[in-house]
Amino acid sequence: MSQCVRFITRCMALPLACVISSGCDRPDPANRPLRPSEVLDFGVLYAQNCSGCHGADGKLGPAPPLNDSLFLAMASDADLQRVIAEGRPGTPMSAFARSAGGGLTPQQVTAIVSGMRSKWSAATTRPAAPLSPYLTQVGHGTATAGAAVFSRNCAICHGANGEGASKAGAVNSPAFLALITDQALRRIVITGRPDLGMPDYQHAADGAARPTPLNEQEISDVVALLASWRQTAAQQSGQVAQAAGASR
Amino acid sequence: MNRIARQIGGWFEARLGIAQALRPILGHRTPRGAKWWYVFGSATLTLFLIQVVTGILLAMVYVPSGDQAYESLQYLNYTQELGWFLRALHNTAASGMVVMLVIHMTQVFLMGAFKYPRELTWLFGVGLLAITMGMAFTGQVLRWDQDAYWGVGVGSAMAGRLPIIGPYMVRLICSGPTIGGETLSRFFALHVFVLPGTLILLVVGHLYLVLRLGISSPPVAGKPVDPKTYDAEYERELANGVTFYPNPIRRDMIFSALTVIVIVALAAMIGPMGPGEPPDPTIIKSDPRPDWEFLPLFGLLALSPAPLEPVAIFGVPAIIGLVLILIPFVGSKGERSPRRRPVAVLSVILFFTTAGVLGWLGHTSPWSPVMDAWSGLPVPERMVKNLRPLELQGAAVFQVKTCRNCHALDGIGGERGPDLTKVATKLTHDELIRQVIQGGGLMPAFGSRLSPAEIDAMVAFLETLRPPGEPPARSAVTARR
Ligand code: HEC
Ligand code: HEC
Ligand code: HEC
Repeated sequence: MSQCVRFITRCMALPLACVISSGCDRPDPANRPLRPSEVLDFGVLYAQNCSGCHGADGKLGPAPPLNDSLFLAMASDADLQRVIAEGRPGTPMSAFARSAGGGLTPQQVTAIVSGMRSKWSAATTRPAAPLSPYLTQVGHGTATAGAAVFSRNCAICHGANGEGASKAGAVNSPAFLALITDQALRRIVITGRPDLGMPDYQHAADGAARPTPLNEQEISDVVALLASWRQTAAQQSGQVAQAAGASR
Repeated sequence: MNRIARQIGGWFEARLGIAQALRPILGHRTPRGAKWWYVFGSATLTLFLIQVVTGILLAMVYVPSGDQAYESLQYLNYTQELGWFLRALHNTAASGMVVMLVIHMTQVFLMGAFKYPRELTWLFGVGLLAITMGMAFTGQVLRWDQDAYWGVGVGSAMAGRLPIIGPYMVRLICSGPTIGGETLSRFFALHVFVLPGTLILLVVGHLYLVLRLGISSPPVAGKPVDPKTYDAEYERELANGVTFYPNPIRRDMIFSALTVIVIVALAAMIGPMGPGEPPDPTIIKSDPRPDWEFLPLFGLLALSPAPLEPVAIFGVPAIIGLVLILIPFVGSKGERSPRRRPVAVLSVILFFTTAGVLGWLGHTSPWSPVMDAWSGLPVPERMVKNLRPLELQGAAVFQVKTCRNCHALDGIGGERGPDLTKVATKLTHDELIRQVIQGGGLMPAFGSRLSPAEIDAMVAFLETLRPPGEPPARSAVTARR
């Protein structure tokens, strides 16, 4: 029996030494998993919920960039909160608030908004030209006036009738217009898509500053033109444009 | 000192008769040549004893209620001195117990020790295996984290799909139509009372039979078991044999002690298991996995088409159980040596290979969609850079319709369906539309969930998915685009 005890003690030495040298794997409270509703870190929330469409760094995603200081200067916290919470029905932008069937608490929505601001709004780029309001100005624009604005400012890249050209694709496609709101169109006209090479309202097609930036009237007009293309397309194909009514 | 101890011992012995009862056990004769093959059963028992002790200690802190179970495990992990080690030990020893049990049964099977007259001993063993797996499953549920929640969820969903008894099974498992705090109480009662109680009864029966029938002698090729002559032959072998004490029992003890040491060391090194994310019914965890014991079953689940899933999860264990029960009846006579039983050896190899492959599949297979890929995984920037307005919308639709949960782009995304990075070189415009609308294989049909504009936009996006320079797919009949 004593032989057996000695044998066991000898065997014990090895694993024990192993344990002592490697250190025990006592769990570290810092690694404690959080309840998903407790996460308030902007980086985590954004990466889980938004980067799929708005891009890993808020740009170069299929959806309009959020990492855009012009956009952030235009839109108020309330505007942002409302889009994130309620989404844009008829577009891929879903409602993220729990109250609207999403997964985020009100605190998390607020955390995202303030995170976007602190991470992406550059204080330096307050635009030189007066910035138009973010929200669509209902009834401001007319398609006929818009046609002139379009051929002066957009046709060079998007083709005379928005059918697309070498520099940029079609913006008159019924399916495209059915999936985007007037609000997003307005915002694109103002901010451009700097990540994809579309200039903002202060810059011309060649990238140089415009002598006179697009003003509020021109912006509303050109959006009215695009909206009228959506309407014609919908009438032709007999289907209701989903996004038109959803514009906010 | 020694004398007093002996006197006290004697006083008790005169009344209890423990030594008297033990003497025949220690002194019973066992056949020669048993050697180290026979130590796995006792090691399993030793690990079970560890489980009893650590289990009782854990039960002193654990609160089996839906809202406090998770917290109490957190308390053990982070606050209670050495609580983490207790949890680690209970978990590691549980795994060890399953391992030892499987080795033990394999050894018994290969050496034909289940044959006459030990059929019942084997059956008790099969019962012990079932209960031990039950302990492993219920124990995993008590962790009450996202994995546990999900484990019961899948189990009950599968049970609910069984014909006729489905709804009753769900009530039985969840103690209600859905998973909740009462489900946890039910599993707690199973894990600490019902199953261990049964386990102890079966162990007693098993050990009684082992002692009554004796340990089988090592198999000798060409000496088949014949019930008519076996008993007399075994008597002869015993007369020639050795007593249980000191040598065979010493081997058992040394091996058990080694096992305990390894388990303790592993527990300290690996640490406790989870609990992972807290359970939250509103979230479908992106990548739930069961504990390793159930990975082969999980792999099987991943492989089987949806209608066969309940069959896989309940039918296969039932079939395995049935086969194990039939083994001693089908093969109660004949050769015991593995050298003369190629079918037995092959089936063991086949079983473990299958289990290993399925387990690996279960470990790695992206059986379930990645639930938050649609909102979290960026569309690769190099793709976005080349997209036209319609295609940009299409990419956003692709994300929001959760295609990404099953399909990767540039290797990132769900893997339930094929990676779509180059899909436009394979499928034409029309084929893409058909795939999206009608689905097919394991892909659901999206037709009713997509507007014509969404289909247009998404297909336009899919058609951009080909490496520069590679031509798009052309349909055999006409190149429509
Ligand atoms: C499935 C794709 C998708 C996801 C995920 C998504 N978005 Fe969007 N988002 C869009 C689209 C598309 C639009 C433009 C909608 C429109 O046409 O008005 C949009 C618009 C927005 C706008 C308004 C932009 C503007 O130009 O007016 C904000 C702000 C926004 N999203 C924030 C978020 C945040 C924050 C998240 C994460 C919580 C998120 N989005 C997740 C697709 C998405
Ligand atoms: C310098 C060329 C250029 C000019 C000028 C231009 N765009 Fe664009 N536009 C682009 C590019 C590049 C894109 C990105 C998509 C692509 O490559 O087709 C784009 C995208 C768009 C989109 C889709 C954005 C999205 O996120 O889905 C709209 C709408 C649009 N432009 C409207 C206009 C309007 C209206 C004007 C005139 C006020 C205009 N563009 C002027 C180059 C231009
Ligand atoms: C539940 C998981 C799942 C979802 C969600 C899903 N798919 Fe699929 N998809 C699959 C599977 C599995 C296949 C392989 C089908 C087969 O067995 O033929 C597939 C095949 C495809 C194919 C053919 C690929 C090829 O190489 O042959 C395309 C294209 C496709 N899916 C597009 C989509 C689109 C677009 C969506 C979103 C509307 C989507 N899928 C959503 C699972 C899914």
